[in-house]
Amino acid sequence: MRSGRLYARASLFDRLMKPIHRWIWADVERRVQKLLRFSETEIDGGRDILRAAELTSDPLLRRLYLEHAIDEFRHGLMFRQRADSVMRALTSRRRPTLQVDLSARGGHGLDDLRIDKESDGSLLAFLHLSEKAAASRFTIYRDLMQRDPPTQAIFAEILNDERFHMSYTLTHLVRVAPERHRRQLWRARLSRLWKGYMRLATGVAGAIGTLVLMIQYFVVLPPFAWLAKRAARRESPGWFPISSERNGSPRRQF
Amino acid sequence: MNLLGISAHYHDSAAAVVIDGLPVCAVQEERLTRHKGDATFPLSAIDWCLEHAGLEPDALDAVVFYERPMLKFDRILTCTLRAFPYSWRTFPKAMKNTLGEKVWMRGIISSQLGVPGPKVLFTEHHQSHAAATFLTAPTNHAAILTADGVGEWATLSVGRGEHANGHTKINLLREIRFPHSLGMLYSTFTAYLGFKVNEGEYRVMGLASYGRASMTDKVRKLIRRTPDGAFSLNLDYFEYHTTSRRSYSKRFIDLFGPPRNPYAPIDLKTADGARFADCAASIQQVLGDTLVEMTRTLHQETALPDLCLGGGVALNGVANARILAESGFERVFVPPAPGDAGCALGAALYADRIYFCNPHRDLPDHPFWGPSVDGSDLARLAREDGHQVDQLDDGLLIDQIADDLAAGRIVGWMDGALEFGPRALGHRSILAAPHTIETRDQLNREIKFREEFRPFAPVVPFEAADKYFQLTQGAMRLSRFMSGVFPVRPEWRSRLQAVTHIDGTARLQSLERAMAPRLYSLLEAYGRRTGIPVLLNTSFNLAGEPIVNRVAEGYSTFLRSGIDVLVAGQTRVTKRAAEQRKEDACLRSVAKSGAG
Repeated sequence: MRSGRLYARASLFDRLMKPIHRWIWADVERRVQKLLRFSETEIDGGRDILRAAELTSDPLLRRLYLEHAIDEFRHGLMFRQRADSVMRALTSRRRPTLQVDLSARGGHGLDDLRIDKESDGSLLAFLHLSEKAAASRFTIYRDLMQRDPPTQAIFAEILNDERFHMSYTLTHLVRVAPERHRRQLWRARLSRLWKGYMRLATGVAGAIGTLVLMIQYFVVLPPFAWLAKRAARRESPGWFPISSERNGSPRRQF
Repeated sequence: MNLLGISAHYHDSAAAVVIDGLPVCAVQEERLTRHKGDATFPLSAIDWCLEHAGLEPDALDAVVFYERPMLKFDRILTCTLRAFPYSWRTFPKAMKNTLGEKVWMRGIISSQLGVPGPKVLFTEHHQSHAAATFLTAPTNHAAILTADGVGEWATLSVGRGEHANGHTKINLLREIRFPHSLGMLYSTFTAYLGFKVNEGEYRVMGLASYGRASMTDKVRKLIRRTPDGAFSLNLDYFEYHTTSRRSYSKRFIDLFGPPRNPYAPIDLKTADGARFADCAASIQQVLGDTLVEMTRTLHQETALPDLCLGGGVALNGVANARILAESGFERVFVPPAPGDAGCALGAALYADRIYFCNPHRDLPDHPFWGPSVDGSDLARLAREDGHQVDQLDDGLLIDQIADDLAAGRIVGWMDGALEFGPRALGHRSILAAPHTIETRDQLNREIKFREEFRPFAPVVPFEAADKYFQLTQGAMRLSRFMSGVFPVRPEWRSRLQAVTHIDGTARLQSLERAMAPRLYSLLEAYGRRTGIPVLLNTSFNLAGEPIVNRVAEGYSTFLRSGIDVLVAGQTRVTKRAAEQRKEDACLRSVAKSGAG
């Protein structure tokens, strides 16, 4: 079952990006961060595919999705374990600072895909393209890891799984949507393109927003900051009484 | 009167419906979307609640949000200004985050549900906590203490609640404000010890038992009691009030040593492992001391026998048991969902009793407010995959499951409506024999995929609890929703190894028949076979996943883990041999990958 007929090959875009990838992976700290990010992506993706297994009414797909999800979880653990090994090898001075994100978690898994809103056909098309893109990228990464055989071995093993995932998703897409599988694939391509554009647009908008807010922070806020600090100095720690009027109106938002 | 309560946007969002003063349903968003700790606006939970209650949005008299968004924004902005210029990274992020969605709750609720703006009401965060604990507790007068990370400004508040002449009063008298927060103090240690904030606090509590509280002097440098009986944190040791990137400062690291790498396992035999355990024990000790002192004062002030605890800090079972034993209160009530999710129900109940002045009604004293399971769904799924399916009468099924458990099999148990809150209290549980340490290790290694120091909880019939556990006065109540940690009687520890923590304690659930009759019958049947009517009861989920809700989720968890038997309603499923072999291979590969 694991001998898929598809094989992984780096896309032209990924081949053109190879020098950048080489630069990223050359630095050990960046490598650790990359591996940790891959770990999270694989585990999140695994959860989404698991969800697909729980929701599909097709018993065969359910079993395949489940196997796929277990593979993704395993990949996540492999990446995490490798990141940990690389991190241990670093001196404490260079150890990357692993930040704790106190804010609420946002996006999940496969491009924020709403698994419960997708048909089996559209999901298979999406998964097929995602696996193909990942395999293309991982082929480059595997080739770049000549000096890091353990990481190279991980990419090689995962690539093997990706081939199986590419294969089964395409085979079953043709099975569940024999007439429309090409259309499904094109829709998935366009959807990925749109999501890519949205990510880029959101990123650019976010960067502009950050810049504008930062300018405001340094230009507009200083006097207010001075007032806030002065008020804080006057505030003594301890109990604050709660007046009975404070919660008079249920319509107040403050 | 139809009320919808909503909590959202920090962690663990939820929705609840209250009709004519009684809860009809409540569910956390994560249980439906399957993203652990889902904090997004709880559309799925709202949809399910309205559908379950048979309500259209226009039939709602009010929608109650669990906190005041502008007051929260005021705190975020003020804290950013106070930290100027060190908050330059945080400011853009905080503004985008808050102004992007969180302050517009009236508009969001109004547009998502199609209800007019004036129908959207707000309570304060700690009022919602107070209502969630006091209005669900079977008491007429009680002191109230709520403590969490932070709401709008308050991090801890005290007051009293009263039902008299059919009317309800909740008077919160005073509060401690951000950044001075017991919840944030504990969470800072959670992050320092390499665990996820808002998820890993249980791990700190579990780890604490392996350490000595040898660093309490150091911890007390971080938290000082103020002359008025409150406390303040020494902010030089923290960064959570200036940045969202890290909660502790360099000075904190100078005091306690390098933080734990979150990806490295904890080896208690190493010096670092022991240091982390001592650190956990010390913060646990100081948290307990502080809460005991504050509740003792509250008891002297109110002279009431009952205390209602709310907020995320009330999930700390070790501290709760100390409060019960040392504060002077005779009974301590902790609701099944004391955290932010419970605020959805708290907000709706607060609006009903306080805003609309409706008469108090006693609430059903159970946590089962979520979706129900259907055993026939499980039978269909399992048959499609070729697993062995038995559909039995209740008596036969209970006997069969008791036999399974007595034979050392691990059982995934789904029964009736889903629990509201973080704990599995008998409707979505993994059950096992509690007698040997091997069972605990097997569960940690092959099913929960978690650290070996994490303890498991026992469930025991209410009437038999005192035989196996040393229960002080009021402990039965506290153990109703697994909210307290109590010693296992020494003579039973060797026969309850899987549920006895290293320090000889257990976070038990004492079960009344009326709350979960089938599980109660199972305990009786198991007791008849083994002489000990105690079972190991842990939440039905794998690491990093929410507790299962529907049959399909229980089934997929069953297939991916070392659970031997799955039960939903009257259906019992066991794995086919080939699947078992495959799963064993899968577990071996996961273990090899370092998952355990």
